[in-house]
Amino acid sequence: MEHAPLWMKHTERALDGLSFLCMLAASIAIVVLIATFGWLVFGRYVLNVTPTWVEQLALLLICYVTYLGAAVGIHENTHLGVTLFRDMMGWRVSNFLKLVIDIVLAGFGLIMLVASIELVKFGWSTMLPMLNIPESFRSLSAAMCGGLVFLFAGLRAVFRIACLLRGIPYHEKGLF
Amino acid sequence: KDWRGWNIHVEDYPVSHGMEAFMEEVTEKTGGEIKGKVFHAGVLGSQPDAIEQLRLGIMDFGVFSLGPMGQAVPATNVVSLPFVFKSVPQMYELMDGEPGAALGEALEEKGIVPLGYYDAGARSFYNSVKPINTPEDVQGMKVRVMNNDLFVGMIESMGGNATPMAFAEVYQSIKTGVVDGAENNPPSYESTSHFEVAKYYSLTQHLIIPECLCMSKKTFDGLTPEQQEIVKTAGKNSTDLQRKLWGEREAASMKIIMDGGVEVNEIADKSAFQEAMVPVYEKYLAANPEMTDLVNLFRNAD
Amino acid sequence: MGLTILLGIFGVSVVIGIPVAFAMGIAALTAFWYEGFPLLITFQRSVSGISVFSLLAIPFFVFAGELMLHGGIAMRLVKFASALVGHVRGGLASVNIFSSMLFGGISGSAVADISALGSILIPVMKERGYHSDYAVNVTVTSSIAGIVIPPSHNMIIFAVAAGGGISISKLFLAGVVPGMLMCLCLAVAAYVIAIKRNYPAEPFPGWRAVGVASLHALPGLVTAVIIVGGVLSGIFTVTESGAFGAIYALLLTYFVYRSLDWNGFKTAVVSAVRTTAMVMVLIGFASSFAYLLALYQVPEKLSSFMLGISEEKIAVLLMINIMLLVLGMIMDMAALILICTPIFLPIVRDLGMDPTQFGIMLLVNLGLGLCTPPVGTCLFVGCAVGRVKIEETLRTIWPFYLAILMALLLVTYVPAVSLFLPSLLE
Ligand code: NA
Ligand code: NA
Repeated sequence: MEHAPLWMKHTERALDGLSFLCMLAASIAIVVLIATFGWLVFGRYVLNVTPTWVEQLALLLICYVTYLGAAVGIHENTHLGVTLFRDMMGWRVSNFLKLVIDIVLAGFGLIMLVASIELVKFGWSTMLPMLNIPESFRSLSAAMCGGLVFLFAGLRAVFRIACLLRGIPYHEKGLF
Repeated sequence: KDWRGWNIHVEDYPVSHGMEAFMEEVTEKTGGEIKGKVFHAGVLGSQPDAIEQLRLGIMDFGVFSLGPMGQAVPATNVVSLPFVFKSVPQMYELMDGEPGAALGEALEEKGIVPLGYYDAGARSFYNSVKPINTPEDVQGMKVRVMNNDLFVGMIESMGGNATPMAFAEVYQSIKTGVVDGAENNPPSYESTSHFEVAKYYSLTQHLIIPECLCMSKKTFDGLTPEQQEIVKTAGKNSTDLQRKLWGEREAASMKIIMDGGVEVNEIADKSAFQEAMVPVYEKYLAANPEMTDLVNLFRNAD
Repeated sequence: MGLTILLGIFGVSVVIGIPVAFAMGIAALTAFWYEGFPLLITFQRSVSGISVFSLLAIPFFVFAGELMLHGGIAMRLVKFASALVGHVRGGLASVNIFSSMLFGGISGSAVADISALGSILIPVMKERGYHSDYAVNVTVTSSIAGIVIPPSHNMIIFAVAAGGGISISKLFLAGVVPGMLMCLCLAVAAYVIAIKRNYPAEPFPGWRAVGVASLHALPGLVTAVIIVGGVLSGIFTVTESGAFGAIYALLLTYFVYRSLDWNGFKTAVVSAVRTTAMVMVLIGFASSFAYLLALYQVPEKLSSFMLGISEEKIAVLLMINIMLLVLGMIMDMAALILICTPIFLPIVRDLGMDPTQFGIMLLVNLGLGLCTPPVGTCLFVGCAVGRVKIEETLRTIWPFYLAILMALLLVTYVPAVSLFLPSLLE
């Protein structure tokens, strides 16, 4: 029975931890989103005073739910994709394509990180209405997603190459 | 070069005709060197996005309401203060004059070159409950406003319940009483059919927020001096055209509204409303003391 | 050239198996780079595409749906349906269809719907002597009706893709009749096959049992009633209705049904995050993609191309339906709604079709695509739950396809099917 090298196991565990933290943050965001909206409904209909910040806060939180959740989805391989053609190709081609995908995703993640940081800088003087905090807090979520995708997909590509060089199979996570 | 123009309104609207006329004139006078296309109906994104794109040079020109512009260029918030203009003709005069030029400088600092200020009419309250004659009438009323502290403060200082809400939700919400009313200019009140559900239109004319025909500074700076002159003249001409078309459109809308059985009431003396806005101004100036001179430039004009 | 790059990169990315959301992002990024735009525009479009007020309803719908799954609401609904219509010949098929009608579409995740309903119903059907392929076919095709019957999260995506001018409450109303029509068509197909294959009927449990089951299911049904009723009555906005429904489902499953513990809550929250993120990131990158389609004036070009073939409304609608069916075979629903709406809506509008009716047509059509290979999420999940090979179900699924196509034709060519109900309340 062949074993994956120790550094790989440690790195994978660290990535699992990072993914867990993202999921935790996104979960808290979605709970806050629902709770504050409950407060909005209560305020509008019962107190006749609409808390005007709820909507804008919700629009901010949804970005974090989306981008952190999306990054976790990359780590856990849960995004919707068309794997049919790839699976028809046989394991050699299929494995090669999986490596290509991870490299492409990592590259995209890196560009997303850099470009979104530009966006963060650019939006610094533009205020979100009602919240009066810079718009940058919104694009920051995209920057985080880019960085995370770069790490998750990039390191997975490294794992794949490492396993390939040692001639051992790489076991990935996946929904099905 | 092919210019891209951003516009939120549908193709048949005074603003849209103004933009098309602008583009045509520029193309014609530059002998076809500059061509372009206006993308109507907001297909290229919302206004805040489009402003950002304009500043980045992705969008070359566009017509933006100075209301939401305040998020990117705080100085333009001044025209979002209730009753800052006494009337639409005064708005023309001030925006074309020294106060408008002061705003223009602030815009240019953010990479936006204003070419002219379009008319977007005066916004007044409409609701499904009763005519509004005094600020007290607004008390306890749920009024939909745009997402802006100033507008929320304006309703709250009259004792109303300010409710920011997506524009598309307003019709249904008035119909079913989620909100009692909203506020807008006659063409919007008419074209959205809000007049069918909110039968009282009270001409408070509390907000006169012009729209700005703007160019990207990046694009503008890339032009030759002659081309820049052509663009400026075309901007001015299209402004004149838009203002004329707006007047016609507003009259047509008012007729539809009246024919629809809406009870329209004029408010001869707006001073009670203006006094009710004192806390809004105080709060705004306390938070933005650097705007004091600019506000006075507008407010103290005849 | 830019358009070729956009579509080419997208096609290649999808075919090699890059997640669809990221394939759109990568294609848009490349096209922006080719056009010499600053690359950050890709992510500006994506972030603003997500920050849309109406879309906030999605996490709420998803969360309410998850609570229904993990909190025992779905189970009670199925028992209710079983007591009510189980005694018809091939009765469990009717139960299946009826349950989808009551339950489907809220969670917005076909995977969640089918794995929930399917894992309750398919084993029971197999146990009673129904064949696996039949059980899967019924489950999978009837889940589409849930997409059209309100509350439906894909309707919100359509309304947003249409530019916000379409009333969601009108869409909700418009979906009722077509959804029921689909259920009816499917029930007929299921019934005919049931007789042919001599499937059993359940004994009628008696009115008392029906009463008890409905009493148990009623509070759960109220979740959907709150969401739909809140929207239709206009008492709440869609988003508020969703939030209220989610909070109601939470209180119900925790305090009344006592079927939700801390672990169940955590599972529901995490699943809600996953589904929300998956859908929203798709919506985000689809906005970048759609921006370029608008910039390249694809809607105008396609419109003049199609009108060049024929200006007859009947023919153009047929062309659009065929294109959608083909696209639906190879892509998933949310992405297609976002891409196709801005392209086709102006065309049908010019032909005098009501945008609301078009929305329903789009949903029925793309719903069918969820059940067709090579990319049919519903079909795949159904087959996984029913432990049956895709090829096996495909041999016998055609009467159900026909049933949905029938409904699609009616929705396409008879405006009243969608528009009569909303017109009553205008
Ligand atoms: Na539904
Ligand atoms: Na399909």
